[in-house]
Amino acid sequence: MHNIEAKERVSMALHYDLSQHSYQEASLLQNREFSTWLETFVAKDVHYWMPVVERRYVKDKRSEPTPYDMAIFNDNYDEVKQRVDRLGTGTVWMENPPSSVRYLITNIEAFHTDKENEFVVLSNFAIIRNRSQLEHSEHVGCRRDVLRKVGDGYQLVRRKITLDARVTEDKNLYIFF
Amino acid sequence: MINMDKLVDVENSTQSKQVFWDQDIYDRELERIFGRCWLFLAHESQLEKPGDFFTTKMGEDSVIVVRHTDGSLKAFLNSCTHRGNSVCTADSGNSKSFVCNYHGWVFGTDGALVDVPLKEKCYHDELDMSKLSLPSVRVESYRGFVFGCFDETAPSLADFLGDWGWYLDTWMVGAGEGVELIGPPMKSILKCNWKVPAENFVGDGYHVGWTHASALEMLGGELGALAGNRANMPFDELGIQVTTRHGHGFGVIDHAAIGIHEKREGYAKFLQQTLPVVAEKLGQPRANIYDGHWNCTTFPNCSFLYGTNIFKVWHPRGPHEIEVWSWVIVHKDMDDETKKEVVKQAVRSFGTAGTLESDDGDNMVNSTRNNQGGHTRSNNMDSRMGVGHEGPHPDYPGIVGSSFIGETSYRGFYRFYQEIMSAESWDEIRANDEQWADCFPNKDYWKDRLAAKSKGGDQ
Repeated sequence: MHNIEAKERVSMALHYDLSQHSYQEASLLQNREFSTWLETFVAKDVHYWMPVVERRYVKDKRSEPTPYDMAIFNDNYDEVKQRVDRLGTGTVWMENPPSSVRYLITNIEAFHTDKENEFVVLSNFAIIRNRSQLEHSEHVGCRRDVLRKVGDGYQLVRRKITLDARVTEDKNLYIFF
Repeated sequence: MINMDKLVDVENSTQSKQVFWDQDIYDRELERIFGRCWLFLAHESQLEKPGDFFTTKMGEDSVIVVRHTDGSLKAFLNSCTHRGNSVCTADSGNSKSFVCNYHGWVFGTDGALVDVPLKEKCYHDELDMSKLSLPSVRVESYRGFVFGCFDETAPSLADFLGDWGWYLDTWMVGAGEGVELIGPPMKSILKCNWKVPAENFVGDGYHVGWTHASALEMLGGELGALAGNRANMPFDELGIQVTTRHGHGFGVIDHAAIGIHEKREGYAKFLQQTLPVVAEKLGQPRANIYDGHWNCTTFPNCSFLYGTNIFKVWHPRGPHEIEVWSWVIVHKDMDDETKKEVVKQAVRSFGTAGTLESDDGDNMVNSTRNNQGGHTRSNNMDSRMGVGHEGPHPDYPGIVGSSFIGETSYRGFYRFYQEIMSAESWDEIRANDEQWADCFPNKDYWKDRLAAKSKGGDQ
């Protein structure tokens, strides 16, 4: 599901295009324009996934997590939509006053795939959430996306999010990565 | 000087806010609660083969649980008997032995010291290795759930659970092959006292409608009607709340097991097929609660929701912080597709990024943090909802409250909390076994209520 193979690197022009797309996405999310993000940046066949990664010894032969294993996010489009809809109910007490969430997206690498209109895009992220008076949390990791060219823009088809921390130092991860 | 009678007023159903803040109270909790109670370690399904291990915590102590070569389960402190370094640094795995990274001491899967580098030349062959095993922990299982206890004088796990085990059997053995836990656990930090989530799971049906208004509104389903407490519901007819000996307890919302599952066909079918089995095997009272949604705490720090099926341990990290570990409960004889869906639904609602989980954190953190203020801390918390509307029930053991919204099991939790924090020994606690429920004085509550009901039915 998430092993769509990355082929040759994309051209400088395409890399620029895909990078700008990532920054626009971050901009929508940090401006709390979740519905716009969902409707324009997310494909209906998306799989949005954050597996739980254990600390294991190097010699441990057990396989890497798959979307059938325990995962913090394991969402299809409707499930991502529910997360967005919940934020619009007006009764998410935690988001009133709202959190400030900042996205630093770096190390973007982009590749062609077997499909002409789909690209594998790798990136690193640092997402910093500030809430209330002094509440501060940071989430660092990487994403492996598959983006599909749709009209003038791109839509997210696959997103595998890997957090570097084993233990989340935050009261929840109800943010978009 | 800790005065437990002052900190927990059983008669007036109040607790001092100090119990969420003070370091000396926390230190006593580590000694008298985490040092003397059975604490959840792992599920046997995680430890099937010899050498399978899982690292966890008991209070603030790091512990390894392992399947020994003879097939038995062992648990011991994860701290080398030489200079104290960890002997295992992975979350889980399979190993023939545990080797300390510091000087290379090697321990077997029973905790015995089996090798010491340079022992002939540098210890001059004078080291009595038999006296240097990793300190072991009592291990017992209940229906596949493995618990550990530091106290040799504590009752057996089955006796510690007592009547709570009678309830747990409803779904642990009633429905077929039993259950297992799906991991690896999600782990996160919450800056709250460990008792805040423990009391919430033991008996807080009250917060559901308000705290979780947004998620319930979005999810709809059976529990959607609770959103914002807007619906006019006959709460005394929709479920019960129970507290049992040793502070365990739960609330059940009748027939709402899968109330927040969106994809539920597989689970609904499983419940339908197994409900008559539970009735036949365990009787109608337990069949009546089998397909309910349960919020539970096994004293002190193991909480779960049966129905939603999230299973959590609150590991304390000082008085103001916990590590939350979350697994998912599935029935062993569910088909793979149903298991997958149950895991997904449980995590989507009560995982680290869960739609309902995310509502709770702020409440728990602020209920703790506010007590940094001395004036705030000098006040009490209140848990009197439903006082008097509870008592012994002809069909259900323990003390049974009138509704799943009530604070009967809060009161039971803190009654035992006070008892174990005050008691010098388990013998002192055992001496109260017959009269522990005296603080729930309305012995005829259910007799009267059921009589009135049957009289009403006759008319």
